[in-house]
Amino acid sequence: MKYMNKSIEELHDMLIKGEVTSQDLIKESLEMSHKIQDECNAFVTILDDAKETPVTDSLLSGIPCGLKDNYSTKDILSTGSSNTLKDYVPFFDATAVSKLKEAGAVFVNKTVMDEFGMGGTGTTGHTGTVLNPWDKTRMTAGSSAGSAAAVAAGVYPYATGSDTGDSIRKPAAYCGIVGYKPTYGMISRYGLFPFASSLDHLGVLTRNVKDAAIVVDAMKGLDKNDMTSWDSTNIHLKESLDGNVKGKKLCYVKEIVDLSNYENPSPELKEHIANFMKTVELCKSLGIEVEEVSVDKTLLNASAAVYVVISCAEATSNMSNLTGIIFGPRGKGDNYIEMMKDHRTKGFSPLIKRRFVIGSYVLQSQNQERYFRNAQRVRRLLVDAWKDLFKKYDGVILPVGSGPAKHLDGSKDILDKDTVVLEEHLQIGNFGGFPSITIPNGFVSKLPVGVNITGNCYDDANVLNIAYALEEAMDYKNQIAKEV
Amino acid sequence: MSSKFTKEMVDDYADKLLIGLTEEENASVLEEFEVIDETINTINKIKDIEKVEPMTHCLDDFTYELREDEPEESCALEDILRNCDVTNGREIEVPKVVGE
Amino acid sequence: MGKYKAKIGLEMHCEISETKTKVFSSAKNEYSDEANSNIRPVDMAFPGVLPVVNKEAVRMALMASMALNCKQPEYMYFERKNYYYPDLPKGYQLTQETKPIPVGIYGEVTFECEGEEKKVRINNLHLEEDAASLDHYDDFSTIDYNRAGVPLLELVTEPDISSAAEAVAFLEHMRSVYQYLGISEADSKKGQVRCDVNVSIMDANLDENDPQNWGTKIEVKNVNSFGGVRDAINYEIKRQTKLKENNEYANMEQQTRRWDEESGTTIYMRSKVDAIDYKYFVEPNIPKFKLSKKWLDEIKSSLPRLAYKRKKDYIEKYNLSDYDASILVKQKDISDYFEKTVSLGCDAKQVANWTNGMILSYLNSAEMSINDFFLKPEMLKQLIDLINSKTISTKQGKEVFAKVLEKEKSPEEIVKSEGMMQITDTSEIDTIIDEVINENPSQVAAYDPERPKILDYFIGQIMKKTRGKANPSVASKLMKEKLDKIKQA
Repeated sequence: MKYMNKSIEELHDMLIKGEVTSQDLIKESLEMSHKIQDECNAFVTILDDAKETPVTDSLLSGIPCGLKDNYSTKDILSTGSSNTLKDYVPFFDATAVSKLKEAGAVFVNKTVMDEFGMGGTGTTGHTGTVLNPWDKTRMTAGSSAGSAAAVAAGVYPYATGSDTGDSIRKPAAYCGIVGYKPTYGMISRYGLFPFASSLDHLGVLTRNVKDAAIVVDAMKGLDKNDMTSWDSTNIHLKESLDGNVKGKKLCYVKEIVDLSNYENPSPELKEHIANFMKTVELCKSLGIEVEEVSVDKTLLNASAAVYVVISCAEATSNMSNLTGIIFGPRGKGDNYIEMMKDHRTKGFSPLIKRRFVIGSYVLQSQNQERYFRNAQRVRRLLVDAWKDLFKKYDGVILPVGSGPAKHLDGSKDILDKDTVVLEEHLQIGNFGGFPSITIPNGFVSKLPVGVNITGNCYDDANVLNIAYALEEAMDYKNQIAKEV
Repeated sequence: MSSKFTKEMVDDYADKLLIGLTEEENASVLEEFEVIDETINTINKIKDIEKVEPMTHCLDDFTYELREDEPEESCALEDILRNCDVTNGREIEVPKVVGE
Repeated sequence: MGKYKAKIGLEMHCEISETKTKVFSSAKNEYSDEANSNIRPVDMAFPGVLPVVNKEAVRMALMASMALNCKQPEYMYFERKNYYYPDLPKGYQLTQETKPIPVGIYGEVTFECEGEEKKVRINNLHLEEDAASLDHYDDFSTIDYNRAGVPLLELVTEPDISSAAEAVAFLEHMRSVYQYLGISEADSKKGQVRCDVNVSIMDANLDENDPQNWGTKIEVKNVNSFGGVRDAINYEIKRQTKLKENNEYANMEQQTRRWDEESGTTIYMRSKVDAIDYKYFVEPNIPKFKLSKKWLDEIKSSLPRLAYKRKKDYIEKYNLSDYDASILVKQKDISDYFEKTVSLGCDAKQVANWTNGMILSYLNSAEMSINDFFLKPEMLKQLIDLINSKTISTKQGKEVFAKVLEKEKSPEEIVKSEGMMQITDTSEIDTIIDEVINENPSQVAAYDPERPKILDYFIGQIMKKTRGKANPSVASKLMKEKLDKIKQA
C-alpha cells in the first residue's frame, strides 16, 4: 500500500504536484478492494471500470472513495444490501452522490451494510457478514459495516455512511476510525434509501477528523428535493478547524459512565470506562472544562425502546414501496397480494420482518397512543434534556459501546432486556438531529475503542474542532487496521 | 403479561404487512414485544407524559420554502421501466386487480 | 319516506386541476396524456425519493378552505395513510386526516336546493394526493402513474343532508365553488370528482339532534358521478326502509358498500369490524410549515365572489330575474364577462339579455369558451351603444353581432364598412325628400294634411332611395312638415 493509507490533503497535494495520478490511486484502491473483499466481504459491488477524474482545486478530485449501498447511484447497482433490491439499478443519483461527483470524487465500490440500515452488526446484508479487519472473528458493527471495514483497512481515505441510531459512529469505533454524522438535514437525504426518515442522517467514515470535515463540506447543502435540508453555505467545516479549544466545555453523563450503574461489569467494560476517563483527563489538559452531569435514569433507560418503536414504525411504512411491482424481483402469485407477499417474504431478512411487525403493531390505532406517541414524547424529553446540557456545554462526551468489537458468534441484534444504556445512548444524537462524531481513543483487549462527542444542532464546526484537537493529542489518527 | 401478545396476533400483523414469518421468527417477535412492552410500562409512569407534545420531526421550529409550481421534464420511459420485470407497452403489468 | 328521514353525509374528492405540477413532485399535473409521460421519481416511489410540497396546491387548498368558512391550521403538514394496493406506489398516501392537520377545519356551506336555502356543516377539508390509474384487461391489469400525485381535495361533510336532491344540489354548488376559485374544472366526466356517500335513516318523529336516534351508518364507496350519488342515495334509502319495514334493520351492521353503476345497486364490501387500520402517522419528511397571517390574508383578499353571492347581487342590485341571474352565474367566465360589460357603463338588463341570448347560444353551438370569444366586453358595449343611440336598429344589431364574429371586426367597423348606419342626418334626408317631391308631382298634389295616408307612399319612396337606411320616424316627420308647407303655399 503506497497511497491509500494517506489523508485526503496528502493525496491532493501529491496529485497537484504530479507525484501520482488519479489512475494510480484508483488502481491501488481497486486492488485493495479485491483484497478486502476476500478478507472481510465488505462490498456489494466493486467498480473495476472506475474512471479517473481531472485533478482540480477540489480536495476530493481524483481520489477514490466508497459509497454505502443505500446511496442511489445512477447506472450502478444499489441494493441497500437487500434481496428486495438485489438487481436494482437506479436511473438517478442521490444528491450527496451528485455533489461528490461534482467535487471530482471517484467511486470504486458500493459497501455492504445491514439490510436497509436496520441492524447494528454488519451481519444481515444479503451478501453476507462483514468481518472486522482487526479481528475476523469479530463484527464491525453496523449498519455502515463495509464502509467502516474498508476505510479501516486502507482501501481509500473515506467512505460514505448513513446513521439512524449509531450506524456510522459505532462501526467507526469498532474499526478504530472516525465516524461523523452532521446535523440532520445538513446533507440532503434525497436518494438515500430510507430506514426511519425522522432519524436518518448521512455522514462519512474517515481516518481523521479533517478528512471528515472535507468530505461533509462537499456533501452538504440545501436541496430542493429534500424539504428537511437547510442552507449551510456559511458553515465551512474544514476551514474552522483550528484546534483552539481552550475554555470549551464538555460534560459526560454519570448514569451512563459510572460503573456502579452496571451489575457485574466485565473486565472489558471496566477497561473501556477507565480508558474513557483517561480521555476526559486529556481533554482537561487541553484546556477543556469537563464536568459530570446527571440525567434522569428513567429517560435514559427508555431510550432504546423509544428508538425501536419510532424506527420500526417509520421503517415499516418507508419500506411499503418494496413490492416488486416497479422495481425489484417480481414475486410469484395469481393475484397482486400473493405476488407482493412472495416478493416481500423472500426479499427481507428475518430481522427486518420482525421489526416490521413491531412497527406495525405500535402504529395500530388502538396501540398508537401507548407505544408510538409515547415514544415520540420521550424522544422530546430526551432531546430537551440534551438541549439543556448544550445551554451550558459545547458538547457531551461519552464512550461508544461497552467495549471493543463483539464476537460474531452470539451476535443477536435483538433488543435485549439487559441492554445497557451505554450501547444505545448514541441514538439520542439521532433523536435531536445533533452533530455527532466518534474518534478512536485507544485499545481494549488489543482492539480499538472509540469516544463520541455530540453537540447542539448547527454547531457542527465547534464539535468537529473539539474532536480535531483531541485527535491531535492522541496517537490514533490515521491508523490502519492491523490484524491482531 | 405474556397473554397480551400471541402467536396468532403476530401472524396476523405479518399477513397485513404482506410478509410471511417462520415459527422461529414469530417466536422472536414475541420475545421482543415483551421487552418493549416492559419499557413502555416505565414510560407510561413518567409524570405528565401525556402532556408532552410528541416529537414527529427531527428538527423543531424548522423554516423552509414551499416549492414553486414549475414543471420539470418527465423521466424517460426507458428509465422508469428499466427495473420492472413485467411491462406492457408504456405501462407496468400486474395480475388482474379485482375488488375495491 | 314519510315515517323515516334520511341523514346523509358526503365525502367529495375533487382533483385540483389548475396547478401546473403535482402536489409532491414537479411532474406535470396532466394525466390524460400518453401513459407514464408525466413522471418524476417521486411519483413511482423509487427508493430514496422525498415529497416536496407544491406551494400553489397549498394556496388553492387554502382558498377552498376559506370559501367553505373553515378554520385554517396554524401549521401545515401531512400524514401517511398506510395500505397496500397496486395503484399506490409508496404503500401509503400522503393526506391530512387527523385534526388539526387538515387545511380546513369545521366550516359551513350555504347553498340552494329547489329554491330553498340549505346549510351543510363541513367537518374538514384536506389536501392529499391521487393514486395511479389502473386499466383492466381480461387476464391482467396495467398501471399508468401519470395520475399518481395529482393534488386532490377531500371534503367531508357532517350528515346534514336529507335527500338525494339536496346532495346533488350541494355537489353542484361545490363544483361551482371550485370552478369560481379557479382550482378545478371539477368535471366528473373526466374523473375529477369522486364521492363516498354515508346514508342512514331514522324515525321521522324522533329528534335528529340526538345522535342516539340516528340509524346505522352505511358508507357507499366509489360513486363517480352526480347522477350516481342521487341513485345510490335513493337506492340506499329504499333498501334501508325495506329493512325497517321487515324488522331487519336492527340486525344490520355498520358497513361499507360499493355502488355498482351497471346494476344500479349497492354491494356489500365489508363490515365495520373488518375496517382497515390505516396506521396514520405524521409524515416526517415534510416539516411543519407555519402558515403566516400575511400569506393567509393575501389569499383571503384574492378570493373571488362566488356564484351564490353574485346571483343575489344580480337580483337585488340589477333587478334581474332569478332565471337570468342563475344562467349568468352558472359559469364564472360568463359571469365575469357580464360584470365587466356592466362595469363599462352598460345597462345590466341589456347586457344580461345579450349574454344569456345571442352570446350563450352562439358559444353553445360553437362549443366555444367565452375566453376565446371574439366579441369582448368593450365590443358588446359598442354594440349596445349603437342601438341605444339609434345608429342601428335592434334588428340590425343582431346582424352586426353575426358580422362581428364572421369578419372579426368591431361593431363600429362593421356598421361603417357594411353601410348599416341609419340616416338620421336631417339635411341628408331633406335632399332626398326634395328629390321625391320633384319626381312625384301628382302625388304631392293629392296630399291632404287631414288624410295623411298618402304619406306612407312618400316614406316608401325615401326608403327605396336610401335602401332602408333612413330613420323612418325622422323621415316621416320631415316629409309631413314639407308637404304641409307646400299645401299652405
